[in-house]
Amino acid sequence: MFKYTVKRLLQSVVTVLTVVTIVFLLLRMLPTDYYFTEDQLMKFSEQQRTEQLEAAGLLDPVPEQLFRFYGQLIQGDLGESRRIQNGVPVTDVISKKFGISMQLGLISVAISLVVGVGMGVMQAKHKDRILDHTGTAYTIFVNAVPPLVSYSLILLFGSRILGLPSMYSNRNTGASSILPIVCLSLSSIAWYALWTRRYMIDELNKDYIKLARVKGMSNKEIMVKHVLRNAFVPLAQYLPASLLLTISGSLLAERFFSVPGMGPLMTDAISRYDTNIVQALVILYAALGIIGVFLGDVLMMIVDPRITLIDKEGGAR
Amino acid sequence: MTNKVSKTLALMLATGVVLGGCSNGGSGGGSSAGGDGNEIKDLVIPKLATRELETFNVLYSQRNEDFENLTNLVDGLLEHDPKGNLVPALATEWGTEDNGVTWTFKLRDGVKWVDMNQNEKADCVAQDFATGLEWVLNYHKNQSSNTSMPIDMIRGAEEYYEYTKSLPEAEAKALTAGEGSKFLEMVGIAIPDDHTVVYTCKSPKPYFDTLGTYASLYPMSQAMVDELGGADAVAAMNNENMWYNGCYTMTEYIQDNEKVFTKNEKYWDAESQRFDTVTFKMVESNDVAYQLFESGEVDYVDLTESNVKTISGDENHKFHNYMVDALPLKFSFQFHWNYNKNKEDGKPDVNWNTAIANESFRKSIYSGLDLTNYLKRFNPIDPFKVENNYYTMKGLVSTSDGNDYVKLVHDKLKLGESDGKAPIRLDAAKGKEYKEKAMQELSAQGVTFPVGIDYYIPAKSQTALDSANVLKNAVESSLGNDYVQLNIKTFVSSLSKEVATPRVASFIGSGWGADYGDPVNYLSQLTLGDDNAYYATHYENIADLAETPATKELLAQFKEYTELVAKADAITDDLDKRYDAFAEAEAYLIDHALVLPASYEMGYCLTKFNIHDKMQAPYGMCNDKLKNIRSSADGYTVDDMKAILAE
Repeated sequence: MFKYTVKRLLQSVVTVLTVVTIVFLLLRMLPTDYYFTEDQLMKFSEQQRTEQLEAAGLLDPVPEQLFRFYGQLIQGDLGESRRIQNGVPVTDVISKKFGISMQLGLISVAISLVVGVGMGVMQAKHKDRILDHTGTAYTIFVNAVPPLVSYSLILLFGSRILGLPSMYSNRNTGASSILPIVCLSLSSIAWYALWTRRYMIDELNKDYIKLARVKGMSNKEIMVKHVLRNAFVPLAQYLPASLLLTISGSLLAERFFSVPGMGPLMTDAISRYDTNIVQALVILYAALGIIGVFLGDVLMMIVDPRITLIDKEGGAR
Repeated sequence: MTNKVSKTLALMLATGVVLGGCSNGGSGGGSSAGGDGNEIKDLVIPKLATRELETFNVLYSQRNEDFENLTNLVDGLLEHDPKGNLVPALATEWGTEDNGVTWTFKLRDGVKWVDMNQNEKADCVAQDFATGLEWVLNYHKNQSSNTSMPIDMIRGAEEYYEYTKSLPEAEAKALTAGEGSKFLEMVGIAIPDDHTVVYTCKSPKPYFDTLGTYASLYPMSQAMVDELGGADAVAAMNNENMWYNGCYTMTEYIQDNEKVFTKNEKYWDAESQRFDTVTFKMVESNDVAYQLFESGEVDYVDLTESNVKTISGDENHKFHNYMVDALPLKFSFQFHWNYNKNKEDGKPDVNWNTAIANESFRKSIYSGLDLTNYLKRFNPIDPFKVENNYYTMKGLVSTSDGNDYVKLVHDKLKLGESDGKAPIRLDAAKGKEYKEKAMQELSAQGVTFPVGIDYYIPAKSQTALDSANVLKNAVESSLGNDYVQLNIKTFVSSLSKEVATPRVASFIGSGWGADYGDPVNYLSQLTLGDDNAYYATHYENIADLAETPATKELLAQFKEYTELVAKADAITDDLDKRYDAFAEAEAYLIDHALVLPASYEMGYCLTKFNIHDKMQAPYGMCNDKLKNIRSSADGYTVDDMKAILAE
């Protein structure tokens, strides 16, 4: 296990570095005009633009820029934001936002797990009956309707009928978080319900369930002790990644409810050529994704003792 | 795609309006009544998420999105009244005694710098204006932002900028504007006492005082710089550690969510009417803002085209009587011809270049193009409100008898008055006459018809595509598709970088907003021989156009225009004469259709504060300063606004 973990960690570092390098190089392939706003392009002379690019090191040879970037990375220096919050260290920009995204995201994951898995269990238990059809209709609706439309309906219902705040507010985080959380949970509830139902129905048709019934186990016992546990194994693999990636927030839901989280940050940073923020986010998301996958493997092993972490040579670790 | 989504959202919201039935559009939940029971004390305004603040350093910013925040936090020398006149801010009086070379500003006493919690930090004095200008001109401190106007106007500014550039970064950042400094030695600014600032211009600049409303001449306290810990810390300052001398302090700042401005009790203009708090709520779109207005969470909303159509088309709509004209944006939109166009493969587009160099061709478009339906895209109810027939923005300056400068241009062009049915300059018969002449002349030069007109729009904008299709119909039906053919093409994200720089568009629609109050700020953008002439060098590409038989007349016209502008700019002792001479140049430019005036940007809104009380000027950064503004928790009706405008 230890050796396997170290090996996976090393692979992860290489993967993150590769991703970061590719992103760095792609950003440097953009024309340098992107460094300036339309206003600056209007008001800066050609000479001033060149001076700015020189000062930012963007006219240096790309390998030199890349190694300088690696050097800063080793020292933990992610640089300063240039456009999102001019002059502010990237870590400060991110740290103010990720807590909010994570908080909403974790609540949403918890709700999705409870409601989604519960819904899936009920659907499987009442297969081809009204409850099952209702759940399926919900899943189809959530997946078929564009999120902005479903968000709008929730906004209208939540604010008009229930009187909930339409926008996220730091002065009233509890109530103003309800609608964003509901929207964040919509699709993941459907996802958990869909796959829980599917895996449970798969399990229900297996011989060991028939044997358990023959042996006189109660339906509840069979569902909880055997079916749900086994059905949850494939779902467990994705759980750590979904928990970790709550940090990244949701572009659409956060923008829609003005949640000051991480969601829109990446697209904003790219569109405004805030390269330091883009690079920092790429590192963060790549690292979280890789850690999530690793933890997913570990969790699967915990949930299902038959699974072991092995390398290609086949030895258990 | 965004706009498709917006339309869907608008549809859903409209459905919601029906479903929601009778929600009260009157007094806002986000507003608390005060005074006579109807005034709003806590104003809430939605701002699009794309308008997020990027910096708290007013000297660095060049964006309107920043200024609409910062103008409420920091005051400069002058500001405007609601009619656009210059009025005192930190300077109580100002003037020049030598036709605009030396400008003296007398500062008011008792102006305080305060922190976010309104604790006094220092007096705001003349030295702060020197510190501010030093900051702007110091290459390493301000990264060339806001330098163009001071460098252009103030003696020694360019030399100081170059001097700081030549220094190592740390050394440059340590420079100050204190007594005996290199800055005071080199730059034309003097601080004879705590309440006087004297600027010396390179040459007579009769409009220099108007620059006193812009960021380039704003003050900064050296004590604040020292307290924060130097130049880098100032660049990264925020609402919690910056110093304020404006009408509000920003007591809460949550990026992408909201900003709360709290009335500054130590403000120099203590008598001014201000809100207790003003909150800017960042919203995803105007459709969301409309929803918030309906639920009473915000006190203002700019209406989308679909909102306007819905509300105006239904007399029983709860907002039907509340839909009022929004304030016009300060941009005068033009279609700028590209005289040196390339095809997408980088080769010159000879057919277009030859056609557009021909005056008859241009004038056939000027006289024959009916833009009515295109203007309806901006204002579906009264399209001629946004009809533009000038190059300079109206309201920029006035003559001594109170006439708007553009009236001079109007008279020189011998334009008629609007009949509310067709664009003023539309003359189909004249257009046809020019078309026939152009076809004859151009055919002889080998031009093939229809002439392709390449027009670029943002790829992801459905609104732009809809407008472009309307324009295409207008062009081809007005002028004939045997003559011209408008090809709609797209760019991904940047007009400048993907279209203007490779010169692939036949024309570009662009609006110019003035930086200071003089027509030269507009007219110099199209002159020859000036690297800073933005439109000449970036959009019309006339600056490096080679002289050929086809372009000879065109270049002669631009030379003539350039001379007219220079002649007008040389008149510095009589503003009426100066404006008249500029109007002559502008009329020449338009009459020869060297540029095609297109539109203004002015929509509709629902509002609970009197937008006509806002400072109004087509230059400077004060237009969004929220002081001396009346409000009504019930909202303003069309009749209310008519009465206000009649005051």
